[in-house]
Amino acid sequence: MPELFETYDDIDDIGSRLQAADPAERRVAVIDLGNSGDPAAIRYLETLLADPDPGVREQVALALGEFDGPAVAAALAALLIDPEQPVALAASNSMAELKDPASADPILPLVTHADAFVRMSALRALKEVRRRDALKPALDALRDPDASVRVQAIGVIGFLKLEEAIPALTAAATDADRNVRRAAVSALAFSTTKSAADAIARSLADTDWMVREVAAETMGSSKFGRQVADALVQALNDEFWQVRLKAVRSLGKLKVARAIPAIAPSLAHPQANLRKEAAAALGEIADPAARPLLEAVVNDPDPEVRKNARWALGKCTAAGLASSR
Amino acid sequence: MPLATTHTSVPVVVDDAKCIADKGCTVCVDVCPLDVLRISDMTKKAYMAYDECWYCMPCETDCPTGAVKVNIPYLLR
Ligand code: SF4
Ligand code: SF4
Repeated sequence: MPELFETYDDIDDIGSRLQAADPAERRVAVIDLGNSGDPAAIRYLETLLADPDPGVREQVALALGEFDGPAVAAALAALLIDPEQPVALAASNSMAELKDPASADPILPLVTHADAFVRMSALRALKEVRRRDALKPALDALRDPDASVRVQAIGVIGFLKLEEAIPALTAAATDADRNVRRAAVSALAFSTTKSAADAIARSLADTDWMVREVAAETMGSSKFGRQVADALVQALNDEFWQVRLKAVRSLGKLKVARAIPAIAPSLAHPQANLRKEAAAALGEIADPAARPLLEAVVNDPDPEVRKNARWALGKCTAAGLASSR
Repeated sequence: MPLATTHTSVPVVVDDAKCIADKGCTVCVDVCPLDVLRISDMTKKAYMAYDECWYCMPCETDCPTGAVKVNIPYLLR
């Protein structure tokens, strides 16, 4: 068990162990450099980017993940094109941890790299650093032939939350790849524009149920308000209960009282999860008219359904008392 | 805490050929929340010293050489 306050050797002492002939010893020194948390370790790690042992290079990629900044990003960029896959993967994962906006400088040029994995990793890393000048390369990457690159490009655009990107996101919501469409629909959640609301509503009729599921969920977390309620009520007829579940939850969040009759059949669905969400949604809506529906399920065989039904019943009763005062 | 009798009868098995504890690695010992892993004085390799385990996995995932294998009991999977 580590001590509460671990003491580490002097960074230069650890650095001197990087000269060891045995790759295992170099590897342990790299672990110590990463654990030191001292940014002075970065310049030592940089000396091992071309170490002959792939295990050492992989460890360097992992250790760099403990630090941030442009020097770290540049070192990780070098490891991202390593011929050994575990090294490149570790570099990709560490890169995704970067937060310092200045880290984007060495990463931006990689967005047009010949290798799709490098392009995908670069965009993934650019997401959290949230740099405005990443928007243009990310928009261009929406035309990338590789779907995983397009998904990450949407991540960059979604994190920036810029209204000017809405047309590109609505177009991506009709991409040939379902993962791209899913990413685009959820990225639209930040917008308050009608075109975004329309795009999400159209996605409720997507051929792929997983896209419809994301669309139904996004509508509840969006700022579109009740203008999307009709589309959500429609989604309660979806052949997939997973889509209905998200639609029920969103209708609850938006407190759409006119959806109560349409939610009612979900209280009797064989899926306990859907019954639970339906009861919870009626509680959110808190309309006394839902009381008889809820009374019918307070003794449901599933404890979660019973719990939510009783809570919802309380909310509906309280709302009734408040309005009769 | 029951002492582990043999190194192969416990849920966490270390591949001595891969383990680099003899070069100074103590990653698995450091990450284990139950403090049940040790470096053997004899073999200089890591092993499970106490047969107690939460199956929380960091020893396996953090081992730099992939030497640790946590065998999760069938009923917990
Ligand atoms: S699985 Fe968790 S409790 Fe078990 S040995 Fe590994 S780190 Fe310790
Ligand atoms: S983490 Fe792996 S290499 Fe390090 S001591 Fe434990 S088993 Fe050995």
